[in-house]
Amino acid sequence: MIRRLRWWLIAIAVMCVLPLFVPMSITRLLVMAAYLAIFAMSWDMMSGYTGYVSFGHPFLIGVAAYVSAFLSHQEGFQPPHIVLPLYITIPLGVAAAVGGGMLFFLPSMRVRGPYFSLVSLAFMEILHRLIIAIRPEYTGGDRGLPALPAVVTGAVPNYYLALGLMFAVAIGLWFVTRSDVGYVLKTIRMDEDVVEASGISTYKFKRFAFILSAATAGLGGVFYTHYLQSLGPRWAFSATFLLDIIIAAVIGGMGTITGPIFGGYFLTFILEYLRPYLFGQWRLFAYALAAIFIVIYRPKGFYGIAQDVRGWFQRRRIRGEV
Amino acid sequence: MTKLLEVQGVTKKFGGLVALNDLSFYVEEGEVLGLMGPNGSGKTTIFNTIMGDFPPDSGRILFKGEDITKLPTYHRVRMGIARTYQVPRPLKEVTIFDDVRVSTVSPSIIRCLTGKVTAHDAVIKKILEDVGLSGRFSMYPHELTMGDLRRVELAKALATNPRIVLLDEIFAGLTVAEIEEIDKLLRRKREQEGLDFVVVSHDLKALAPLVDRVVVIDFGQFIAEGPFDQIVNDEKVKEAYFG
Repeated sequence: MIRRLRWWLIAIAVMCVLPLFVPMSITRLLVMAAYLAIFAMSWDMMSGYTGYVSFGHPFLIGVAAYVSAFLSHQEGFQPPHIVLPLYITIPLGVAAAVGGGMLFFLPSMRVRGPYFSLVSLAFMEILHRLIIAIRPEYTGGDRGLPALPAVVTGAVPNYYLALGLMFAVAIGLWFVTRSDVGYVLKTIRMDEDVVEASGISTYKFKRFAFILSAATAGLGGVFYTHYLQSLGPRWAFSATFLLDIIIAAVIGGMGTITGPIFGGYFLTFILEYLRPYLFGQWRLFAYALAAIFIVIYRPKGFYGIAQDVRGWFQRRRIRGEV
Repeated sequence: MTKLLEVQGVTKKFGGLVALNDLSFYVEEGEVLGLMGPNGSGKTTIFNTIMGDFPPDSGRILFKGEDITKLPTYHRVRMGIARTYQVPRPLKEVTIFDDVRVSTVSPSIIRCLTGKVTAHDAVIKKILEDVGLSGRFSMYPHELTMGDLRRVELAKALATNPRIVLLDEIFAGLTVAEIEEIDKLLRRKREQEGLDFVVVSHDLKALAPLVDRVVVIDFGQFIAEGPFDQIVNDEKVKEAYFG
């Protein structure tokens, strides 16, 4: 067991001591990367496994973030407004993501085909418009909600918070996907009718994957917005944010859970260092290129590459022994 | 004899095309029923309807006397109806061992989460050996012959622990030796476990020794029924086949 997990244990140990050695700017970047990794894992749980591609994860993240931000926000509202502590608003935010997702997304999952993707995309945009247009005095409208309370302050405590969340999510989803549940979800992606004809209610398993995915997205969204201490509809519901999540999962390796973690970190850092050269539309162009390349040549992303390398080493070792 | 599976006046239209026209037949307990008919006569459509892939426009499907017309597919499978596909539909990214495993996975999410992934390995192994796939457990579908793919289909159906299996062209594209093996296997399953079968086949030679009774349909309509020898000499059947 220890032998099998040794690389993970080393990685965790390195991650734990990392903020002691790197400058503050890198620590902040690592926090962003951890949240992107959470979102990417959440997307992977649903879309990477079942093949029902969600374009609506910003909706789930946004609902959770707005609910918690709205309830914990202290200024700028007309009375009567109750300010609730974070330990109440955070679970409420996560519950709202699951509830909202089930209400709006789940019905389209009963139907095969691209309907789930289309519906999820539509609701992301609808929520965006609603938040801007309806009652801006409550939602902050286009400007969003500033000065939100923080869970912890400072880059280093936030780093450990984000890291802890990420590992908790990763371990939880890892156990689910390595059980028969993960297996059934994978087979749903391959041929849903055949799985149904094996006596399994595919809808029940899809629903379970979706609830897990929505809860994870909500959890990440709530903590992320309290880390940033502000919430704006422009980042929460943008196509770029959606693409960040999907591309992180795709380059990390869809249907692997561990791959998207790596994808989240990789994407955050590559974007940061490419920022002077890639701005605006060029970023989307680079995304498109990277996605096409990976889907054609390495459908399992970095996870697949890592497996290939490991296989190569194992073969070499066996040959060496003989 | 009681009726195990009963199709009562089922009509199914696809747009203007009447695929099944007021079709009725039944399968008795302990019986192997052959279903014959020319191309496009509705044999696969009636299988799809029995499995619940789509609802019929009218009519009922009864299993063990219970109306299952409105039940979802997975429910019917759990009640004991299984099927094989005319064109084998293996899961392309997994070994045939894992492919059969889908049929043994618990339908309960909690049990899936807490149970061991390898819990049913012995059962899967036995079924794969039964259908004649020993030594090929870790092969992928693209490495297999048509004969072996049909065996995988059969293994998946048997792994759901069925009472009746609908076999759609199980003999198509097989060698004579392979047909004989599958025929033997089906007989054994019938004798030892009391399984019922409905067999659709173009290969009348393969069908003849296996079936107790034959139902012939054409243009989605019932034409004739009876023992095999009597059916092949029936005027209406000859007309349906030869025009």
